[in-house]
Amino acid sequence: MNALARFPLARLALAAVATLSLFGCAKHDDVTQITVQRIFGECRSAGAGARNPDGECEIITGLLDQFQRENPDIRLKVNIAAWPGYDQLSAQFAAGDPPDLVTMHMSAISDYQSRGLIEPMGQGLENVGVDPAAFTRAAREGVTKNGQVWGLPFDNWAPLWHINMGQFRRAGLVKDGQPILPTSADELLTQARQFKAATGKPYLVQAMANETASYTRNLYTYLMTQDAVFFTDPKHIKLTTPEAHRIVALFKTLHDENLSTRDQDYPAATSGFMNGDGGVYLVGTWMIGTFEAESHTPGRPLADGYAVVPYPRIFGTKDAAYVDGHAWVVPHRARTPAQRAAVYRLVRFLADHDYDWSRTGHLPSMQAVIDSPRFKALPHRQAIAPLATIGQTLPPRVQRQFAIQDIIGDEMASAITGRKPIDTALADAERRVNDLLFHLL
Amino acid sequence: MTAASPRKSSWVNGLFVTPYLVVYLALLLYPLLAGVWLSLHKADLFGGEAFVGLENFGRLLRDTVFLQAVRNTFWFVLLTVPPLAIIALALAIALNRPTRAAAFFRGVFFSSSVLSVTIVTLIWRLVLIPDGGLIANILHAAGRPPIPLLSHPDLVLPAIALTTVWWCLGLPMMLYLAALQQVPAELYEAAALDKAGPWKALTRITLPSIRRTVVLVVIIQCVLQFQLFGQAQLLTQGGPNGASRPIVLFIYEVGFRRWDIGYAAAASEILFGLILVATVLQYVTTREKEAVR
Repeated sequence: MNALARFPLARLALAAVATLSLFGCAKHDDVTQITVQRIFGECRSAGAGARNPDGECEIITGLLDQFQRENPDIRLKVNIAAWPGYDQLSAQFAAGDPPDLVTMHMSAISDYQSRGLIEPMGQGLENVGVDPAAFTRAAREGVTKNGQVWGLPFDNWAPLWHINMGQFRRAGLVKDGQPILPTSADELLTQARQFKAATGKPYLVQAMANETASYTRNLYTYLMTQDAVFFTDPKHIKLTTPEAHRIVALFKTLHDENLSTRDQDYPAATSGFMNGDGGVYLVGTWMIGTFEAESHTPGRPLADGYAVVPYPRIFGTKDAAYVDGHAWVVPHRARTPAQRAAVYRLVRFLADHDYDWSRTGHLPSMQAVIDSPRFKALPHRQAIAPLATIGQTLPPRVQRQFAIQDIIGDEMASAITGRKPIDTALADAERRVNDLLFHLL
Repeated sequence: MTAASPRKSSWVNGLFVTPYLVVYLALLLYPLLAGVWLSLHKADLFGGEAFVGLENFGRLLRDTVFLQAVRNTFWFVLLTVPPLAIIALALAIALNRPTRAAAFFRGVFFSSSVLSVTIVTLIWRLVLIPDGGLIANILHAAGRPPIPLLSHPDLVLPAIALTTVWWCLGLPMMLYLAALQQVPAELYEAAALDKAGPWKALTRITLPSIRRTVVLVVIIQCVLQFQLFGQAQLLTQGGPNGASRPIVLFIYEVGFRRWDIGYAAAASEILFGLILVATVLQYVTTREKEAVR
């Protein structure tokens, strides 16, 4: 007689453990785990009591939670990366352990696509019934490289003019309920001086410290409205031009005459605008939901009125705006057919919920959503809808766009704050960017 | 047999250091040599590699951004190491007494050292920003305009140095305290009998007794502060216009943002060389002084 036979309780416990283990294995085998990596911060989903129900973080958290609830056979392991997420992603690729699905700016896709680190998604999208022809033009161009689709576009975003209408009204810059916007650089300076004289506040609110992106986006947008070809080819930039000079000179004048806020970093500029520190805040589509909520909060400075518009054309003759966008891409890695199916089921789910994501303020990537009454009924969306047609990305084969953005922003800041002559700063930016592009393998 | 035994025994004893030696070779020596080899290549983070000899080093010596980062790093070391060595010593002397208040303040001054760089920069951002920061509010109360400590090229490195000194004070203070507690009390009693004042006791007894610790603190702090990264990355991203970009941030940007990993490796080797030279110079200088005595 063995030891177990002499202890029936022990046998019972062992049998129970074995049964549970088998059950556990069977259950485990039915569930497919995939890793999803995203930016947009960490928060609770947009439910009752959410701080900002239309925030990026709240909406994406809610969507992924909803997918998890509706698909119990898939387990999502969600990694949240700090913006923009590429240092972490590059390290994961280098270690051979990238996620199954990851958010990627359209401007970064060419870096990873050119190194064969992500998969073309055309066939996979077709298999789950997502037709790239349904994307908006800007979204489709953002994810298409060399004739292939490399991502599911989730949105397009662009820097915008967010306007404190109460202060504009005090400065006499409102007509028929609409903000009076400049149509030339001279008109902008005149209106900014008028605004300052009437309100005592700077016309522009800008994040200028610990920040490079906004400088570069301003430059790109106004070069595009002047139809300037600043990337003569994907390996060369041309910034020592009259078009670039006049843009930087305008922002320098605004800075010199205290018509713009100074020395604020991004959090300070954002809270400053919400506290009524200036008339126009140059920041992207993602802040629409936050500012709209402020405008409905009695007693807050934006409660006197809030409007948002694409950058007014003050240079050149072409309606254009620099846009980028978020996409979901599938890194190259070994995965089972079940995991592949799970990835594309999530991709389909995200495509189906493009409207929900557009509540953030970003422009939808699906033309049908842009044309839908419910999207048009969202606040300010009619005003920014033209971005889907006038939006322009950098040429698709330009690599290291984030690094380029840092260099240009760095040099523009020097010129605008007077630490370098404008032409020197533009020449330095051009030299540094071309050096970077020249040394790409 | 009697002669062979100890020799064999000492050789076998060497096996005890093998585990450490394996880890040392695998995690320190191999990466160091691999880094040197990589610095001789034009290489991308994700493939593509061509031998270019010393070209990366030539490129670095012509790169104004890198040269600015080298200048910034030296300036930062000068701004931080002397205050860290002197203030920590002053604190250690002041707190080297067996009272509850001294024990409490030792804990207080050491507490900043346990914080992560993220928390430290978050706290100091709230102190330094000109828009509602602590310093700006104090200046405002005094009727003075705010100072753009994080966006003025001449002020940004001193501001980061201030943050760093606040953060790093704990370790040198503890090293000094440990050394001070080894100084025999009889020496101070004898000095008191000879009517030596506090200054004389400090310069004739305390400092000579803890000379080796002072050298250790200076060397450790030099090595640490040459590797400035987190504070600059989080507070200023190296700006404005590179005025606070240290060498490590340059390496990070080139390696992980531009994927130019061979060039980043070459910059790393130069940083390694600078730290090595600075450390050896200090060590040799102090050893020669001791030999003269």
